[in-house]
Amino acid sequence: MKARWTKSRVRGRIALSILTAGALALGLTACSGGGGSSTSGLSGNTLKMYTWIGGKADKQQWTDYIAGGKHADPKMSVSFSGPPINDYYTKLPTVMKSSSAPCLVTFQNGRVGQYVQGLEPLDDLAQKNKVDLKAYSSAMLEQLSVDGKLYSIPFNAGPTVILYNKKMFKDAGVADPGLNWTIDDFIAAAKATTRNGVYGFAIPQASNPISTLMAADGHPWADKNGAKLDDPNFRNALQFLVDLSNKYKVAKPLEAAAGGSFPDIDAFSTGQAAMEMQGLWDLQHEQQTLGKDNVGIAVIPSQNGKSKGFIGGSGFGITKTCGDKQKAFEAIEAMTSKSGLEYVTKSQASVPARLDALDAWSKNVGSPAFASVIKQMTGDATPSPVPANQAQLDTLLTQYEVNAFSGKSTVAEVLQQVKAGLGQ
Amino acid sequence: MTSAGLDRAKAGLPGRPLSQSGSRPGGRPGTPRGWLRRRPFGGPRWVGWVFVLPGLIGLAVFIVIPQVASLILGFSNSTLLGGTQFTGTENFVRLFRDPQFLNSVLVTAIFVLVYVPANIAISMAMALWLKTRIAGRNWLRVIFLIPALSPMVANAAVFRLLFQKDGAVNEGLAAIGIGPVPWLSDGNWALATVIGVSLWQSFGYNMIVLGAGIDSISPDVIAASRIDGAGRFRRFFSITLPLVSPALFFTTVLTVIGAWQTFAQAYVITGGGPGNSTMTIMLYLYQTAFTNNQLGYASAIATVLFVIIAIFTLFQLWGQRKWVHYD
Repeated sequence: MKARWTKSRVRGRIALSILTAGALALGLTACSGGGGSSTSGLSGNTLKMYTWIGGKADKQQWTDYIAGGKHADPKMSVSFSGPPINDYYTKLPTVMKSSSAPCLVTFQNGRVGQYVQGLEPLDDLAQKNKVDLKAYSSAMLEQLSVDGKLYSIPFNAGPTVILYNKKMFKDAGVADPGLNWTIDDFIAAAKATTRNGVYGFAIPQASNPISTLMAADGHPWADKNGAKLDDPNFRNALQFLVDLSNKYKVAKPLEAAAGGSFPDIDAFSTGQAAMEMQGLWDLQHEQQTLGKDNVGIAVIPSQNGKSKGFIGGSGFGITKTCGDKQKAFEAIEAMTSKSGLEYVTKSQASVPARLDALDAWSKNVGSPAFASVIKQMTGDATPSPVPANQAQLDTLLTQYEVNAFSGKSTVAEVLQQVKAGLGQ
Repeated sequence: MTSAGLDRAKAGLPGRPLSQSGSRPGGRPGTPRGWLRRRPFGGPRWVGWVFVLPGLIGLAVFIVIPQVASLILGFSNSTLLGGTQFTGTENFVRLFRDPQFLNSVLVTAIFVLVYVPANIAISMAMALWLKTRIAGRNWLRVIFLIPALSPMVANAAVFRLLFQKDGAVNEGLAAIGIGPVPWLSDGNWALATVIGVSLWQSFGYNMIVLGAGIDSISPDVIAASRIDGAGRFRRFFSITLPLVSPALFFTTVLTVIGAWQTFAQAYVITGGGPGNSTMTIMLYLYQTAFTNNQLGYASAIATVLFVIIAIFTLFQLWGQRKWVHYD
């Protein structure tokens, strides 16, 4: 009898322990989704900003934007922290939901779609603070909006361009590319510069080269339903990248690699490739590595020589948990003001998102050739929405496109596999 | 405690409690007296609780609560930023129809089947080799342990460069007339690369544990077996292996658990590709939660993985009675 009683007591304790653990777990789950207090996202009077920091160049970039903001509004105070871009979007949702969530976050290439549940819509704050949104690039505002609500104010327009090694072009007898560069010109240049163990071009992973090549010919790569994987232009763009490696032998085939890594940038920076296709944000890094006068930029080659740009607008957003959203908006307003962005152009090559700051950028960037390329790429851009599942799409494309380069699958099969993966 | 009590305690038999022996007036020298005899917090049970409390809190906060939370979230459609709705067993039903998940189970099972036996065999072979009287064997032990001490992500990043199409490995093979191997562009080779790097990284730890087990075997037993005429193989299978079996059991259990949870190698070297040829369960779980923003579904994957590991571990615990010798 006593033994049975002791046994039931032990069982009772186990049950109580499980219930307590379950209750604590539920409590923690519930707590983690709670709203912020008046000090959430601030450290004293300083707003906390979470952003990507991959090295000195990124650190300098954010320091410069904050300095530009302070130049426009001396009271503004922002501190920043964050992981390299490879991990940024993975960690962002967890950080936004944590008790130490920042007030400000940043987005690249208009990638707000997946995070809107943790972001404050900015339309009312813009109206209340009498901010003229017409001063910003409308293509970028569209990219940073979801269902008609604006979630991020753009600070730079990162058009994707061709970066090329001037010395390698000169040594191979290839002239600097003009604004009417065609696909055939590009292949000819890549063939001429492929020699001595160096490839003419370094192929980037995932969707960006596809969307950029499509945009150059005026084809949007996505619509409100997501990436247009069934569009023949999408298939042709990926096929062109495969052909550069397998048919023309001017690029190294893509191999399996961790998502978010940049083997193309590594190849260009280390002199293993004469050209790369990247956002203008990489220019400063390449100039520091290969020499300031050794890096040229060119428009994206197109079929008819009338290339259009693919813009990936980067912007600041405010978290829903931010304790002082007004203060956060004032900081964004300062950092993206005309005088703020003009200040940034003194030290950063990135193109300001405000149209009225473009003159200062052209003046400070110090090269009429650069200015003409950027004006063409930003002035006549192909508008395109950013799919909410872009991170998933990029991961799947990075995984499966390798099979097209190795010959194991056709491009059409790869796109079907990606489509099937997105459906899961 | 009396020497008889100590002997009983050593033998695992119940002895007279300390407080009882100390309660006798005029007890022997060395017996606790005065306040030392009193039970702090009302009795020894509470003292015990105080001692285990920090460990229990750690266990609850870092293991029990996350496990329970994960189990609960598995029955919801929770996202990282959005709300949570109870969806019943929907996630678990979906799992068994999800070709990506089923593929990840297959890939991980292949990994376990190849990696675990290879790891144990290499570790045992190295431990036996280092038992022989070779010069600098202690240094060699340290050298072989270094990969296990260095961060997996850093190691994997270096290996990714080495195994590229024009990397150092293929250049080395070319020097001896072997054509380039598609280490990272063919699915089978990519999985072999991930397994190879994992072996390189982790055999050192098992080698140390098994080496300690081999070192603890009495030389007299080995000498006796030699006198009895046992050859090298007979000595290994009939003497060394049974006597080292507790260490072998320990390493096997931990290696199997670690193999089912493989993540960093595939994440950094191949990202799960080409295709989904190196997509392990943990990598798929990670992508589902943090790339696809499906926390509820990822929690269901975590629960299934927990069950798989629990089944394998319990099977090993049950099986140890047949082959592990603790005497």
